[in-house]
Amino acid sequence: MKYAIKMTGPVQQILRAMLADPAAPRYGLEISKLAGLETGTLYPVMARLEMVGWVESSWEDPELGVREGRPRRRYYQLTRDGAEQARVALAEISRIREKRRATLNAAQPGTLGVSL
Amino acid sequence: MNGVLAGQVQPGAVQADPLAGLREILRATRPDADLGLIRRAYEVAAAWHHGQTRLSGDPYITHPLAVATIMAGLGASDQALCAALLHDTTADTPYTFAELDRDFGTEITTLVARIVALDQIRYHGASALAQAIAAARAADPQVLAIKVADRLHNMRTVQYLRPDKQLRKAREAREVFVPAARLLRLDTVQAELETLAAATLSRNRHARTASGRLLTATTALLPAATQARWREEWLGELSALSARLSRARFAAHTLLAIPRLAVTLRRPAPGARQPRP
Repeated sequence: MKYAIKMTGPVQQILRAMLADPAAPRYGLEISKLAGLETGTLYPVMARLEMVGWVESSWEDPELGVREGRPRRRYYQLTRDGAEQARVALAEISRIREKRRATLNAAQPGTLGVSL
Repeated sequence: MNGVLAGQVQPGAVQADPLAGLREILRATRPDADLGLIRRAYEVAAAWHHGQTRLSGDPYITHPLAVATIMAGLGASDQALCAALLHDTTADTPYTFAELDRDFGTEITTLVARIVALDQIRYHGASALAQAIAAARAADPQVLAIKVADRLHNMRTVQYLRPDKQLRKAREAREVFVPAARLLRLDTVQAELETLAAATLSRNRHARTASGRLLTATTALLPAATQARWREEWLGELSALSARLSRARFAAHTLLAIPRLAVTLRRPAPGARQPRP
């Protein structure tokens, strides 16, 4: 199946991290920690996710930041459609991975060598 | 209807009235406002500012219109509303005071001339504050109110300026325009200016550190319309990190993202929408 965005490893990690609580808005540094990715990998992926409409981003109310003595944050949130498509994509990828693992496990040492 | 491509503007399509928001507010604060006069002032200002843009990329006329809208919320007179709409025409376009006088009369021309004169005061330090207060007492309080509204809108759109200019505008806002708003008893304007100035100062706290400078400089590689957003987002994240070492790490890793991000942002996938700035 073809998705709106190429499902690279980092894309999957970010989507899994965000799907843990799909309604929660999260800022970049937070997602980078949750997904275990460096920010250098994170931001280009976030920009792509936003371009295809899976994720939306917006500034928080600057007054919140002022109260906590920090600049306003840019928050990212999965769109409803994005969360749905991400779930489908991740599920399918897991299925494919399971199937591949099962095939590998079922294969005899000799036949595996042949099939590869 | 066939033959119209997606995203193509239909010829003759009716654009929303740019004065709708202003009229809405005037209905509550100034039901007796001279809408014909105000529309004429808008049209003259829009014609002279035609082709000029704000750093945000918006047409320049959005700025005087926003200032007039703030003034409308304060229940300003027809003359003050027109002066707000026309306040940058004589300084930034070939429109002259003589033409302004011929088109709108002495009262509005005098207001605009006083606003322009107030711009000549350099807003620095305590002496500037004293000057601004003196100006408020001496001149028409409407003039100072328009200047305060002018700065309020500039602070609302301050993120499009370079970080060093943002800092200067925020300091001036706090030192000169917040006290001026207090003097004029414009409570809501004063509160919003305070919030915006504090947010801008806090946001740019790390703009001058080594990591901040590096990030700021490198965002120049990104498409112009997106630079302000990423710069602000990253400087914000930077300030959340307390240790200098983790800030340097964040800056180093984020720098690696910039070339890839530049490619992503310049070559959007077909049918994709642009991230909001």
